[in-house]
Amino acid sequence: MYTPAFTIRTDEEGGLRSLRIAGRLTLADGRALWAQLCAAVTTGVAVVDLRDVQMIDGGVAAILLAATNGKVRIDGASGEVERLLRLYACAKGSEGPPVVTASRGILVQVGDNAVEFGRELQRNLAFVGDLGAGLAAFVRRPQSVHFSDLLYLMERAGADGLPIIAVINFLIGMILGLQGAIQLHRFGADTFIANLVGLAVVRELAPLMTAIIVAGRSGASYAAELGTMTVNEEVDALRTIGQDPQRFLVLPRVLALCVVVPLLTAFGDLLGCCGGAFIAMIKLDISPTAYFSQLQRSVELSDVISGLIKSIAFAGLIGLVACQRGLATRGGALGVGRSTTSAVVLVLFGLVALDAIFTLIFSLLSF
Amino acid sequence: MRAIVSVRDLSIGWGAEPILEDVSFDVMRGEVFAILGGSGCGKSTLLRHLIGLEAPMLGRVHLTGIGPPQHGLEPPQFGVLFQSSALFGSMTLLQNVMLPLQKWTNLPKDAIAAVAQARLRLVGLTGFEHHLPSEVSGGMKKRAGIARALALDPQTLFLDEPSAGLDPVTSAGLDELILTLRQSLQVTTILVTHELASIYHVVDNCIVLDRLAKGIIARGNPSDLRDRSTDPRIAAFFHRRPTGSIA
Ligand SMILES: Nc1ncnc2c1ncn2[C@@H]1O[C@H](COP(=O)(O)OP(=O)(O)O)[C@@H](O)[C@H]1O
Ligand SMILES: [Mg+2]
Repeated sequence: MYTPAFTIRTDEEGGLRSLRIAGRLTLADGRALWAQLCAAVTTGVAVVDLRDVQMIDGGVAAILLAATNGKVRIDGASGEVERLLRLYACAKGSEGPPVVTASRGILVQVGDNAVEFGRELQRNLAFVGDLGAGLAAFVRRPQSVHFSDLLYLMERAGADGLPIIAVINFLIGMILGLQGAIQLHRFGADTFIANLVGLAVVRELAPLMTAIIVAGRSGASYAAELGTMTVNEEVDALRTIGQDPQRFLVLPRVLALCVVVPLLTAFGDLLGCCGGAFIAMIKLDISPTAYFSQLQRSVELSDVISGLIKSIAFAGLIGLVACQRGLATRGGALGVGRSTTSAVVLVLFGLVALDAIFTLIFSLLSF
Repeated sequence: MRAIVSVRDLSIGWGAEPILEDVSFDVMRGEVFAILGGSGCGKSTLLRHLIGLEAPMLGRVHLTGIGPPQHGLEPPQFGVLFQSSALFGSMTLLQNVMLPLQKWTNLPKDAIAAVAQARLRLVGLTGFEHHLPSEVSGGMKKRAGIARALALDPQTLFLDEPSAGLDPVTSAGLDELILTLRQSLQVTTILVTHELASIYHVVDNCIVLDRLAKGIIARGNPSDLRDRSTDPRIAAFFHRRPTGSIA
């Protein structure tokens, strides 16, 4: 049961209404105080009497002054209460010698690197664990994530990336179509170009190419952004105000990618197939209608879904690795460059590896 | 009086070599405590250890009643101004100050804005609420950092060179702020500073660090140290005398 550490009552004396506050006023009770003060001001209280107030903190001083806004006299403050009120009311607006490091023997270096590798692994595991905890907290209390950030991040990763995703996937569809057209024409199997382009694009190429572009655009920018924040002590500052960097910075980015990348992939699927249709039309004289009805017969919903499932995993990988590299940044602008490079390289490697794993699993499940 | 911060046999460093060894001291509740010493002697590093951002090589730091920040579990018990100000670059000054209030109070939005605005007014930044950190000067960033550190009315403040980049008038205003907070709310302030005038005016106790000695070379009230110390390094510091090498 919440009871504030202060009491308020209204007095009427000679036609003058006054609000008499007593007790200790701290920011912890600020909400109740703010509401009562605002209500009192609109009902025409002329004086706020602080005679029985033992202490206030700076936040309450700010609330008192803002809620009364010069329209109501603040009276009866004395001692430290008055002093704090006055404070808020009157406020107007070489380098050492270079460090010599002894050269280390090769065995020592190998040992040190092994130890460092172990630590790095430990840190990465801790990172994933922290994020898992963050995700659990998010599921329990979705409002703990900054949704305004989420929308902005989704726009940056998604809407802003549409043109390049469209162009690349269209070109990929064309390239596949061209390569296929020559071979298929020899066997008189022209209409099967839709099968070839459709399946390759939907199952493999659109998810992968889209993820690669997102890795280059968003992955690199997340690593650089979080890296710069780390180097500028902004991440430390977040910790000291009790904001968990995982929850505040990483989770919204990962979530944004997991929403946006599948959508981009679906868009890429469409454009890739259009690229194939274009080639079919100019090289093989297949009308778009014929191409698309053949496409409809050959590509099943499960093909599309398998591509989209992959793309969600790709998105998670890009977000996690890029943010982790960013937060692990050490040492100035140089470090930011290093972590951006390593983020992109790691993500590209991870994407291909993950794709291989998925293809294997899907073929085992004959999905 | 009880110790808010007590440091015992602390050794700290970034690599294998410690930059400070066997450091012990106490900061009492309600006092203004300064960490002094030449540039690069490890003052900021020591401060980062006090607030639990770095793990010590040896020894320990104990904060009475103010455990290290429990990332996201309970409200932070202290406010920190980093040497680089560490404002969030994508947020305006006002949003920077509002962030801790949004996270830890249940005030309505307009009250949060009013409180944040008052903090900025306190440090003389009225009119710059909607500027980004990249659009204001270094001294203004410092002041916004102080406003953010004050946001939740912490009982303890850690300030790394708060007056660097400030003009004498603003700097004197900051001194008054620190003294008022101590007097009215018994706020403990632990600060790194080089501003001699301000040191004599506000600081109750200090330690002087030295890079070559890798430790504390003097402790006590700054005025006493200036008047009584026989150590040439201490005299040089408090009388602004060069010591031959820039150390
Ligand atoms: N992030 C860091 N990584 C490695 N070394 C650091 C880092 N920060 C500071 N140092 C080193 O620690 C020493 C003390 O630095 P610092 O505590 O910033 O000094 P001060 O604040 O007293 O001027 C310096 O020699 C500096 O090179
Ligand atoms: Mg420093």
